[in-house]
Amino acid sequence: MNVLNIALFEFKKDLRDKRTLLLMLAFPIVLILILGTALTNAFNNGVELDDMNLLVKNTAQSAQLQSYWNGFAQSIGKEGVEFTPAEGGVDGKKAVQDNKYTAYAEIDDNGIHFYGSSRQTISSNILQGMLTSFADKYNLAAAALKNSPEAADAIIAGEASAGSFIQESSLIPDRKPGSIDYYAIVESTMIAFYACMSASWLIRGEVKRKTALRLAAAPVGKLEIFAGKVIASTLINFLCILVVVLFSKYVFNANWGNHLGSVFLLLFTEVLLAVSFGLGIAFLFKDDAVNAVMMIFVQLASMFGGAYFPVDEASGVFAGIANVSPLRWANEALMKLIYNDDLQAVFPVMGLNTAIAAAFLAFVAITMRKREAF
Amino acid sequence: MNVLEIRNLTKTFGDFIAVDNMNLSVNEGEIFGFLGANGAGKSTTINMISSLLRITKGEIKLLGKDIVKDNKFTKMNIGIVPQDLAIYEEMTAYENVSFFAGLYGLRGALLKERTEEALEFVGLGDKRKALPKSFSGGMKRRLNIACAIAHHPKLIIMDEPTVGIDPQSRNYILNSVKKLNQMGCSVIYTSHYMEEVEEICTRIAIVDHGKIIAEGTKEQLKSIITDTKETWIGVKNAERLDLNALKQISGVNSVRLEEQTVKIVSKGEINNLNGVIQLLIRDQVEISSVEEQAPNLETVFLTLTGRNLRD
Repeated sequence: MNVLNIALFEFKKDLRDKRTLLLMLAFPIVLILILGTALTNAFNNGVELDDMNLLVKNTAQSAQLQSYWNGFAQSIGKEGVEFTPAEGGVDGKKAVQDNKYTAYAEIDDNGIHFYGSSRQTISSNILQGMLTSFADKYNLAAAALKNSPEAADAIIAGEASAGSFIQESSLIPDRKPGSIDYYAIVESTMIAFYACMSASWLIRGEVKRKTALRLAAAPVGKLEIFAGKVIASTLINFLCILVVVLFSKYVFNANWGNHLGSVFLLLFTEVLLAVSFGLGIAFLFKDDAVNAVMMIFVQLASMFGGAYFPVDEASGVFAGIANVSPLRWANEALMKLIYNDDLQAVFPVMGLNTAIAAAFLAFVAITMRKREAF
Repeated sequence: MNVLEIRNLTKTFGDFIAVDNMNLSVNEGEIFGFLGANGAGKSTTINMISSLLRITKGEIKLLGKDIVKDNKFTKMNIGIVPQDLAIYEEMTAYENVSFFAGLYGLRGALLKERTEEALEFVGLGDKRKALPKSFSGGMKRRLNIACAIAHHPKLIIMDEPTVGIDPQSRNYILNSVKKLNQMGCSVIYTSHYMEEVEEICTRIAIVDHGKIIAEGTKEQLKSIITDTKETWIGVKNAERLDLNALKQISGVNSVRLEEQTVKIVSKGEINNLNGVIQLLIRDQVEISSVEEQAPNLETVFLTLTGRNLRD
């Protein structure tokens, strides 16, 4: 009963701490909005086919090749790729270098020579894929022609429907987060970890406020006080995360996938980890050092966890540090859960969070029992 | 009957002995003054009584029960008014009192009744819904007391409950202490204000270097120092005083200057007033008054410990 009374009192007290509540609610929402909006382009890897302009110098003599090429050109032209014949003395390579075209292709009876733009890498890669695909099919059709002309026509005609060349050279997976989706996830996990800051004050605050003396003089065990405070802190911080997730889902239309229950469960274990970590640090370090240690760890964990920018392509030392960030574990698991429906991805992270939290809580409980005062 | 009994109590911090083989008893229904300068061992003793610190050696009994073996019973019967305000500023006066009373097992209607009773007792009944941050220093001190009495403890320990407050609030608190005592509570009272202790305490102990050096009623303590007398000399130009020269006069135990008054403690049997006056005249100090003081607690404390209570 004492545990519940202490938890309820702590919960009420936290609800009245407007500054902390504002930080826990407004900070992630503003970050999602600002970073999600400002970095929209960084997350937009798709390329409109309308943007692609191919300069072509066609000197092939083979009527068959000309016929197949015209069919190919017509087919992908429907997708918005613009063909420009290279007239007379036009230097195709220079024109691409000058960013007038996405790519330059020279076609003769020996094959296709392709020069892609280094400024429009994605577009030129797509065009290269299309031309490679066309070349493969033409070679196949040419081989088939020697034995069965009908088969050759079928190969080309069958594959010449609009989009088939493009589909084969697709560079972009079907489901990937947009910037708002990404920042909704990473800011939510970041703010879940911020719970460690307030948790570090759970016992320290009582000592500073001098109420620790009253608590110690009352007929309640230290562990009851400890348990009540951990329960309240975990719940209030988790409630903040719930609000942030639901706000981002319904106001910003962030994608949280089809397994919201598992998302919340993982975030709950992360809050528990943060609360126990904050308490642990408060007992490990001297009072003045606690805030500094906490701030440094939270900021590094946030940065390496991808809270400010994606860290997918990290390598070397950076990757090593990123891998020990609890935020990185949570973010990766949530990405897999939301975008690959991979329910299995969240269980190891939930287990790890809970195990580390249990270790910290046990450490704090034992240390509290040993100490004379709080 | 003794409410509190302390036997051979010792507390050490490493090599430092904070409380040294202390023996003390507080009778039921008395207001017991516990005097000592800073670092004398008062707070350490109080913290051991309230179970905040572990006992190194010896024993403390409350209502005949050992505070270590019957920890819950003894805690239920003690109320603590700490020297520092121990309240939650972001919670209302009612919530503060109710929370702490709840820790003593009070629930439901009884909790509500006792909370309101405690707030009324300290004169904060009409401020129950207000936050302590809007309170004056005196009101906060009174709330600090309310948090300690709602569970009706048999012994209340008040550690400097009137520090830094206005005279009106101080009077209110002193009257509250007397009222609590009349209602059957025993009180241990510490203060730096000797006049408060003289006014309300029935028995007093003086602690120095972790030991009780004197204990008894006010009269008993004052009788300890019948061999000394105190002379107060009012002066107009205190800057001309040579305190060291005054200390050299035969029979003078101590000399201190408080504002425009020189307070000289001397051996009772020696008449040295003439020598003192001559020295002041030599130094061209203008004398405005001369008073022979009856011994008071301040003199007793100074004589026994060699320092002022506020040192």
